[in-house]
Formats: sequence, C-alpha cells, structure tokens
Amino acid sequence: MTMNVVIDRPEARWLPSRHRFALARLIAYIRLRFDRPSAAQPEHLILPIDRDQTAAEMNCVAVWVLATTTCYVAASLPFRLPLSLVLAIPLAAIVIHLPVVTIGPLVRLVMGDGNNIGILSVITMGLLLIASSYAVTTTSWARFAAWLFFGVLAVNCAAAVILWLLRGAVRAGEEQCVR
Amino acid sequence: MAFWSTFFLVWGPGRRGVMRNLKVVKPGSFAVTNLFRCYRVFWNYAWTIADNVRFKELRTIPDWEFIGWEHFQEMQSREGAILLTAHMGSYDLGAHLFSETSTRRIVMVRAPEADPKTREFEEHHGAGGLRVEFNVRATELALDLLENVRNGDIVAIQGDRVTGSISSLPATLFGKPTTVPAGPFALALAARVPIYPVFVMRLGRRRYRLMTSRPIEITRSRNRDEDFARAVEQWTAELERVVSECWFQWFTFEPYWPEPAT
Repeated sequence: MTMNVVIDRPEARWLPSRHRFALARLIAYIRLRFDRPSAAQPEHLILPIDRDQTAAEMNCVAVWVLATTTCYVAASLPFRLPLSLVLAIPLAAIVIHLPVVTIGPLVRLVMGDGNNIGILSVITMGLLLIASSYAVTTTSWARFAAWLFFGVLAVNCAAAVILWLLRGAVRAGEEQCVR
Repeated sequence: MAFWSTFFLVWGPGRRGVMRNLKVVKPGSFAVTNLFRCYRVFWNYAWTIADNVRFKELRTIPDWEFIGWEHFQEMQSREGAILLTAHMGSYDLGAHLFSETSTRRIVMVRAPEADPKTREFEEHHGAGGLRVEFNVRATELALDLLENVRNGDIVAIQGDRVTGSISSLPATLFGKPTTVPAGPFALALAARVPIYPVFVMRLGRRRYRLMTSRPIEITRSRNRDEDFARAVEQWTAELERVVSECWFQWFTFEPYWPEPAT
C-alpha cells in the first residue's frame, strides 16, 4: 500500500483531503485559502495525505461522541445526576467499544482480515444515531444532548453541500498546494 | 486509555524505574510531580506502540518534521555511517522513513528477541530497505556490521543502554557515572566512519520529529581509550540535552543509574 505525501509545504496541513468530516474539510479549505504560513517552520517536512491525519478533528469527534454517550448512559442510570455523570464516563467508554468487540468479529467473518475501521465507524455512528433518535423522543434531560447531536449532523450536512458547490475551487486549491 | 492507566498502576517495577530515572533527570522535583511525569512517559509509550501497530498493519504514517536536515542529508550521502540513537519515539516508523527517503540500506541492530513468534513478526512486518539484526552472536555480528558499513550501508544502533553481557564504555550522564555500549564506537573506529546521533520524537497524534545532530568523528591516536572517551563524552552530552528536553519520550523502564551501595 502506498501513501501520497506532500514535502516541504507547511500549508498542506490544511488540505481538505487530510480531513474526514465535511465541516472539518470546509474549515481546512478556508484556512488553506486565507492563512499565511508562519515564519517558524521545520527545516524539512513530510505530510501524508490521509483523511484521518488531523489530531484536532479526530480529538473533537472523539470527545463529542464520548460526551453524547455519557449523557445517554447517565440519563438511564437510577442515581442522582452528579453520581450518574461520574459513573457514566467510564461506562460510556465501555459502551462505545462494545460494537467493536461484538460486531467486529462478524465483520471480520464477512469481510476477512484487513482494514475494517471504516465499516466499524459507520456501525458505531449508526448506533449513536439510533440512540439519539430514541433520546430525542423522551422527556429526560438527555434529549438536549440528542438535539445537539442532530444539530451537529445538520451543520455537517450543510458543510457537505457547500463543499460540493465549491468542489472545483477546492480541487484547484489542493492542486495549487501540492504542485 | 483505561487499559493503559491500569497497566501503569499494575506495573510497579516499570513505574518505579521511570520515577527513579526522573529523579536524576529532574533534580529537586517532588515525587508526586514525577508520578504524573511518569504517567506521561507511559502515555507516550502507549501511543508509540499504537502508531507502530498502525504502521505495520495499515501502513499509516505520521507527519514528519526534521531538525538538523543538513546532517541527515550528509549522513545519507556518505559511503557508510553509524546512526546512534536512544530508546525514544518509534524506531519502526523512523526506519520506514529512512527506507523511503534514503538510497542507502539500513541495518538495524536490536536486542535479542526471546519469543520466536515476535521475532518472526518483526522480521516480516518491517519497512522495505531495512534489515533487522538481532544481537545474539556478538563476534559474528560485529564482523557483519563492519562489512555493511564498508559497503555503504547505514548501521543503526541504540546507544543509551547496556543490556546483557555486551561490552561497555564508562560515561557520565546527568552528572552520574554510567556505561554506554562500546560497539558503535569500536565500529566507527574500525570502519573510519562518523557516528550521527539521531533521535525520533513523538510530538502528538500522528506527529513525529526526527532530529539529527552534528556527527561524532572518532580520530585515531596512540591512546585508544582517550579516543573513545572523547567520542562518548560528545554522545552523552547530546543524549543529556535531548533527554532533558524530552524526558517524556525516554522509554527506559529500568533504573538507569545503579543504586549506590549503602
């Protein structure tokens, strides 16, 4: 397997191709277009073009998924809210990993060995969508977390539409950067 | 994260080893501060292992920044060189980077791997253009490495820790007496090639830095011990500088300096 890399172009950190979600890709495109490179740069730089490369995006999504799941778990616990929240944090971390260890072997049986991270990510996000759809119908405080979840999804969809409309400019911007 | 935190709490000898080393690297620091620093060392080590596995299984590579690029290029352009490094960052990722950017073959010397399955995995999942030599037959290996260097290869050796019964040279690190492996210095003297101190450091998620320092030239004189002492002094000064700055990347889980006899 080979991977494309960009050499000695610090601005390539903001290539939309180095981001996964539409909102992050849109922000990256804006920064690629308008940011000026800072004076302090390493002597030599190698940047792979991989959609999961950017730490800020991946960490934000991880925190968002953990926080949303924590809310749902806390709302379902029969304790007072502060105690439920404290207990829900480690429980949510376990719950998030359950699809990986339960569905993962099935995916491996069907797809074989290899990189099945994409499929497992879709399944995990699908389960979160189902949980949010349920939470939004309840009267518990967790419905606000569910609304926020759908709000973020809506913003991401809007960013995807904008990116689609700007697809020519985005491609040109990327080509200019990597040339 | 939870798994690694458990590992941190359960593995007492490793934790105590790092704490003792931190006491020397960070003199005058509080034990509780060093406990958090120790966790940071474990945390970085966990991420380094994860990055290694990602590379070996998925060929995912991180962003690379280079410091000392001129020395790195100089090393690549020479007919044979010795790359001296420490137990920092990820040598697999570093080796892959070398194999991608260098026209020279890299021969990496590693401590013997006890588990045959692990050894087989290491041999088959490494980077292209890289040969791993397990340090099991000291004399034969020395001759092989000498031939490699003379053929223009780059021999990569870890020079911060003496393991097993390999020959060593006296040194001083952070003002305390210690020993460093004699092999790289003897090889450099025999092959008449310089030693390039190279350090791989993890800066963050999928972000690494490769730092190459000024080469250490071993000049021959009538007194071989003095020749070695000068080279070792230069190496330990470099190692001390890097470990002072990046103590959270120094993966030495055994006490580095022996406890003074009471």
